[in-house]
Amino acid sequence: MTAERRTIESALAGSAMTGPGDRVDYRPTAVMPDVKVVKIGGQSVLDRGRAALFPILDEIVAARKLGIQIVILAGGGTRARHIYSIASELEVPTGVVATLGKYIPMQNARMLQMLLAKHGGIYMLPDDFEKLPLYLQMGCIPVMSGMPPFGYWEKREEGSRIPPHRTDAGVFLSAEFLGARRALFIKDEDGLYTDDPKKNPAATHIKSITAAELTARGLPDVVLERVVIEYLPRAQWCKELQIVNGLKPGQVLAALKGEDVGSIIRA
Amino acid sequence: MAEIISGDGRTHINSRLMRESLQNRGVLSQTESDRDLRVFPDVTLVSIGGQSIFDRGKAAILPLVEELVQIKRDKSLKMVIGVGGGTRVRHTISIALDLGLPVGGMAQLVGAMEELNAILLNTLLAPHGSMPMQRDHFWDLPLYFDAGITPIAISVPPYHFWEPPPEAGHLPMHGSDFGLFQLAEVLGMKQVIYVKDEDGLYDKDPKKHPDARRFGKITLAELLPQLPDDNILDRELFHAWSHAKNLTRITIVNGLSPGQLTRALHGDDVGTVIVKEPA
Repeated sequence: MTAERRTIESALAGSAMTGPGDRVDYRPTAVMPDVKVVKIGGQSVLDRGRAALFPILDEIVAARKLGIQIVILAGGGTRARHIYSIASELEVPTGVVATLGKYIPMQNARMLQMLLAKHGGIYMLPDDFEKLPLYLQMGCIPVMSGMPPFGYWEKREEGSRIPPHRTDAGVFLSAEFLGARRALFIKDEDGLYTDDPKKNPAATHIKSITAAELTARGLPDVVLERVVIEYLPRAQWCKELQIVNGLKPGQVLAALKGEDVGSIIRA
Repeated sequence: MAEIISGDGRTHINSRLMRESLQNRGVLSQTESDRDLRVFPDVTLVSIGGQSIFDRGKAAILPLVEELVQIKRDKSLKMVIGVGGGTRVRHTISIALDLGLPVGGMAQLVGAMEELNAILLNTLLAPHGSMPMQRDHFWDLPLYFDAGITPIAISVPPYHFWEPPPEAGHLPMHGSDFGLFQLAEVLGMKQVIYVKDEDGLYDKDPKKHPDARRFGKITLAELLPQLPDDNILDRELFHAWSHAKNLTRITIVNGLSPGQLTRALHGDDVGTVIVKEPA
């Protein structure tokens, strides 16, 4: 008895799907292009506690009252560094490190939700994008972990045991899925510098740069995860990454209104 | 005892990565070593093709299930099974492409099609001892093995809405072959066996080219420069494997030829054997 493949007719029928699959005309559809995807940094903001965080949340609430649709993603911070450090000593695979890395941004997201609850803050699981239209229409401020859900399936990067996709990647990939043009990162620096300004006082501020120019500089350190800079030029929607200083009053609100404050990395 | 450190406006826990930028290459390299912990080094992961086996229906599926039942008699062989989705995945993505859905949307959708094959396989194998394994419930595996139960794993990796933009074209890069590879890699398994409908990996598609040449036993380093564009495993699998530390052996066998899977599980060189030598 022969056992033929029973194939459904389609543009990709019989394909190994290992090639680019460009036989189909692809005209991308944006899912929720008006949403602002905003990261609140772990080490840079949350680990500073009330003094840094409360004024930032005030500006986010003010923006929400202006009708700006905001989704907040939380970073990890020093507790993530602590578990990464111990896990590295134990030589556990990157996929295990990435799984450990899910828990701290989740804690931080829950803290943010408790603070924002009275203004409509609602905790959202990573797979709950499908409920966003409801939350936003109700005037809520959804808060979720910035960590992508790759976990044990996170790939190892050459020369490192740390998961390459962390909360910056989660913010960019969320914005890209939702079809938002710009992702906003709230940190404790004015954005991008020629070197780490906390360690090198001679570092100078970069107002705008393309991903290609940034990569070509070959900096030993960059303000956002390297995968985000790598992905940016091939994004369909999210073509700009804006980094602002949450410690400077007015920056967050200005950025949420669409102003070019801080640094902008362009595709 | 963990030490809490402040003074720069932030509160830190003392650790080697404290205050550090995790983008700094110098910092990252401190986390590296020449090995990864191996959790289940005596387990083989068996991946059964969707298009190559399941889409052929009963005539291909039942003999393979019978072979798995025979294999299960040898309690020393520990295996986890995963399945591909086949033609329904291709149909899903074709429609999604036409609708212009984002790549993360496609990645979120396709897992359901693989799951159908996993349910079918489990329905056939359950009387002989099998169970679907929840996404990442790896820590149940020792129980499964002790009880003689073969777990059927979810093969599509949970990249979902966060599937990165592909290097070329518009399709998700992380499919079921990659997902099962990564599952075996992160758990430090012995080998992965991909059960397809060809006697191994060829330099071009043997269904279209009668002169296609099969790779026998080959190292990953030898294979990478001559990897065919159109091949039966996800391209991303080879890329990820080249940076990985654990997995040293991938075998591709023909599930339409009875006995090939059994021999591969016993470690025989059958079909195409790709080995990775330590760097």
